[in-house]
Amino acid sequence: MFENVNMPEGMNPEVLQHLMSPNNYGKLEKHTGVGVAMDEKSGEYVIFYLNVEDNIIKETKFATNGCQDTLVIGSMYTEMIINNDLGYASKAIEKMQDKLGVMSPQQVICSEIVFNSFKAAVVNDENRKNGINEEMHSIQMEESCEIDEDNKNE
Amino acid sequence: MNKLFKQKHELWMHITFASFSINDEEIKSRLYEFSLIAFRHMKWISTDVLESSGNYNYDRDMTLCTQDRVFAILMNLKKEVENIQSVYFSSVLGDRLRSDDKYLLEYLDDILSNHKNNVSTTAFNMKRTWPDNDLGVEQTDALTQFLLAEVYKEYELILIYAYMQARTDNITQFSVYQDLVDESLFHLKSFGNMMAKLGLLNLPRELHEMTYIIKDLDKFVEDGIAEEEAAKEMCKELSESIKDDKLSKFFDFINFQESYHIELMKKLLK
Repeated sequence: MFENVNMPEGMNPEVLQHLMSPNNYGKLEKHTGVGVAMDEKSGEYVIFYLNVEDNIIKETKFATNGCQDTLVIGSMYTEMIINNDLGYASKAIEKMQDKLGVMSPQQVICSEIVFNSFKAAVVNDENRKNGINEEMHSIQMEESCEIDEDNKNE
Repeated sequence: MNKLFKQKHELWMHITFASFSINDEEIKSRLYEFSLIAFRHMKWISTDVLESSGNYNYDRDMTLCTQDRVFAILMNLKKEVENIQSVYFSSVLGDRLRSDDKYLLEYLDDILSNHKNNVSTTAFNMKRTWPDNDLGVEQTDALTQFLLAEVYKEYELILIYAYMQARTDNITQFSVYQDLVDESLFHLKSFGNMMAKLGLLNLPRELHEMTYIIKDLDKFVEDGIAEEEAAKEMCKELSESIKDDKLSKFFDFINFQESYHIELMKKLLK
């Protein structure tokens, strides 16, 4: 798990806490926007719920069938943006990338699937506010975290 | 959504994780038998719900009892079993559920009547030490990550296969789903007990309906086979790196089981 957040005595307790008890995990019944980022190749998804009032994220939740890296990033990111405005949440993506440090190509995709699901939820929130009837907004991932067998040893 | 199914799902989890959390092998084993009975209850309730044109989901609203004494865990479990009684209906199935729970409550009372059973538990102490051998930091981290990932994955697979089994009329598919459920129940039990040994026992996260409502069976099976391959690789790596002969052999054994899961899953594609 994330190289730059490992501590000398082993697994970072913060990471362990996110793995065992992820923040803001689950469904949000009362929401203003829902977004999904889907990795069609691996079947992994992240669904992101937002409840935005006066541009402030009052509540947020996410759920995923993805790996531990996706879970930890979703937990950290939702905790970072809650009770902040949408502009902060967009900028927080860069802050998160700095915090995560050096990541493997697969971990980069895990972080992108979380951020894309947030972006999709923002689009859905805007669409609903503009009177567009859209249950949720979806973004297909351009790159998959599934390692291509042909390129595995490259 | 169906309240009885939801509460039975939660009760199955309560019994299963109470079993994992207790060190005494006899109590652990008896509770696990009761958890398998509760799982069958879930299956029968789901059939009833679907036959009456209803539906159910896998939402949960529960917290794990993380007390460090056997009696506290069993008292909590007793309360959960008592709470569900008011939801049971009057029918042949309802009578069966009540009768099974009555016997479980009698068993719990029997254990609770002997103070010698009230020993401490280590399942939630967060010490992350493997009692049989000093694994060192790197191996303990690898084992921790593996168990956290796999306990979720096995729970996910059990519920997906059960969901699909309840909705198929194809006898071959029904049989394959049952085999896969049984295999994943065994893996969940094995990994859950290992997590308790490490002091890290924890409920797997909830399943969102996007995870278990499968729209494309072939794609689901193909993805599942890729996941089994990945799990096999993780088992192989752990087996090779871990300095504990018993653990190493266990992961080889699991690795081989994953290979057969792939064969079972291929039958779903025919």
